[in-house]
Amino acid sequence: MPSLGTWLAAFFTLCMLSFLYKDNPFFRLAESFFAGLSLGYYIGIVMNQTLKPNLVLPLIHDFGANWNLVFAAGLGVILYFRYIKRVAWVSRWALAVYVGYYVGVNMMQKLHGEVIPQIGDSMLSLSYSGVGTLWNLIMVVGVLSVLIYFYFSVEHKGLIGGISRIGIWFLMISFGAAFGYTVMGRISLLIGRMVFLVNEWAKPLIGSIT
Amino acid sequence: MNLERVMQVDRRIIYLFIAIGTILPILFVIGLPVSITPPVQMAFDRIENQLQKGDVVLISFDYGPSSAPENAPMADAFLRHCFSKGIKVVVIALYPLGGLSEAVNEVSKVAAEFPELEYGVDYVNLGYKDGAQAAMKKMAENIHEVFPTDMRGTPLSELPIMQNIRTYRDMKLVVSLATGIIGEWWANLVNAQFGIPVIVGPTAVSAPKYYAYLEAKQMAGLLGGLKGASEYERLVVEKYPKLAEVYATPGLYTATKGMDVQSIVHMIMIAFIVLGNIVYFTSRKKPRKAS
Amino acid sequence: MKRQLPLLLTFLAGTIPIVAFFVPQRHVGLVSTNLDSWLIIVAGFALLLGVVNVIQMNANKIRRQAPGWPYAIVLLLGLAIMGFFGFAGAFNVFGGIATRPDGSSTPFDWLYKYGFLPLQGTMFALLAFFMASASYRAFRARNPEATILLVAALIVMFGRIPFGEMVSPWFPRVTEWIMSKPNMAAQRGIMIGAALGAASMALRVILGIERSYLGLGKGE
Repeated sequence: MPSLGTWLAAFFTLCMLSFLYKDNPFFRLAESFFAGLSLGYYIGIVMNQTLKPNLVLPLIHDFGANWNLVFAAGLGVILYFRYIKRVAWVSRWALAVYVGYYVGVNMMQKLHGEVIPQIGDSMLSLSYSGVGTLWNLIMVVGVLSVLIYFYFSVEHKGLIGGISRIGIWFLMISFGAAFGYTVMGRISLLIGRMVFLVNEWAKPLIGSIT
Repeated sequence: MNLERVMQVDRRIIYLFIAIGTILPILFVIGLPVSITPPVQMAFDRIENQLQKGDVVLISFDYGPSSAPENAPMADAFLRHCFSKGIKVVVIALYPLGGLSEAVNEVSKVAAEFPELEYGVDYVNLGYKDGAQAAMKKMAENIHEVFPTDMRGTPLSELPIMQNIRTYRDMKLVVSLATGIIGEWWANLVNAQFGIPVIVGPTAVSAPKYYAYLEAKQMAGLLGGLKGASEYERLVVEKYPKLAEVYATPGLYTATKGMDVQSIVHMIMIAFIVLGNIVYFTSRKKPRKAS
Repeated sequence: MKRQLPLLLTFLAGTIPIVAFFVPQRHVGLVSTNLDSWLIIVAGFALLLGVVNVIQMNANKIRRQAPGWPYAIVLLLGLAIMGFFGFAGAFNVFGGIATRPDGSSTPFDWLYKYGFLPLQGTMFALLAFFMASASYRAFRARNPEATILLVAALIVMFGRIPFGEMVSPWFPRVTEWIMSKPNMAAQRGIMIGAALGAASMALRVILGIERSYLGLGKGE
């Protein structure tokens, strides 16, 4: 016989799947409960895995060496001032630091980690050396035509229009491939749930009945 | 045949086909062979041929239940591979919605298959940390400041495996099992700025984009979705035949078994798409024939 | 002060990681690495902002007895139960939030395995059905571009399954070629364009030209 936990999981799974027939209160119930659980999960992991080991315990055990963490805590608490009308403007300070930091990190990440290596790897040899040259040509033409397609400051007609069209074809191949992979991805998620329902719930249930 | 009726078929009939196509191969396992692709072979070769016993690999659980059926088999295969080869594993999680729990459950499941390994000596789970990019940057300087304790609160100073591990330089490889953007950050931030090789196991939805990183050598290997996971399972079982027993456990969900189901449902979807287009073209030609 | 200080803070917080990237560690190390440590903590606080927001919204919904208010109670109930065990775990009550050393589940982990995981997993699994229905109804070779998309999709869908290789070993080879050549080229083009856009947006935010994230318009 399936355990209590398995029964609960099967119940929730079937509630969600019932939406395929039509929207119904069981689905709404499961959906709302899921939303609540996910927020409760955030509380658990943030408190246990970040705030306790990285803030609270260092301050308690060695305040002298970790006093600067008080500023981090301050910034974090200030974020919540947005819910108090009189001092909501103070929360902008914490938001400014938070957004500024991640935007700065992101800028270097994009330029150094994406633009430069990707452009660098696009500098492929086009001198004849067998079929590899053809593939290099395809890649160079593909990258350039897609970049030109996305350059909207110039009207797409004439030569630019022609190159853009080639870019669109490359994009269509890429989106087709992405669609194929997306189908695979979505089906994988369904397989996971069905394997649970069949192997962990239905089979033990039928086995215990017969 | 009334073509309009074919096109107007109730969507629940389509759902039924998909459901039957999913359930039948689960009940009646086919066992179709899986072919290996170069990106997965590269990932396998990196661990098998370029790492030695005692080297340290960082495995980052950057996924949750939303993609667990794809990423969990990858995680299991990587853990089994590392444990079989005697490679030490440091596990972290950077995905907030389920990363920690997936790491806990998968590591404990696979570690139970290797009773000779000791927690804290051969592998460790450091848990989850917020602020993924900040954590990744800080780990280049001092992992002990990012993860002062393991996921249960044991200080790293009490864990033998972490005594000589301070930064990325003390590790040979990072493996990220990712849904969403965190996998990209390992490639375009950690590999780009700190040079440690990175293998990413993204979901199939994200996999096409990772080919650009792979070609630019920002990644050392790529496992795309369930197919990638099944390929890695095959490589691991061929190299370590003892693991075949584990993968043959009845009722155990593996990527290889999942590919059977994948094959059937793909064929159903291809049939629907082709049928839809046949009806479309036929209905376009008909008014011309009448005139 | 109310408007200028946040812009200055954004500039400083954004510039430090950029400068630290170019300048040797010994000159900016202390400031930069402290900022990294701080932002790990601030990110944790930021993640919980959403929780407060949702509690507020749903409490209002219940108070006003707006349509669907019973489901708001269910949501808050789920939040309270999971949140309670998560909060208690921080004080090592019930054994924490992971599994206990003997392998048994704590209440938090149990709720994850038998509540959260099936709910989220099934929610995403529904997409497979919707995808099948949408493909049947809408995926048409209406013009040359759509035909290219359709053909590429069918080749990849067929080439990535074992049946494809059983029919012909060329299917997986062509699929792999599509992924590593034309798809890669297009993805690279998209990536370069998007990265340049993101970098220029980042610069606008750091320099204070873009202020919408603070709730300020351009002229403020």
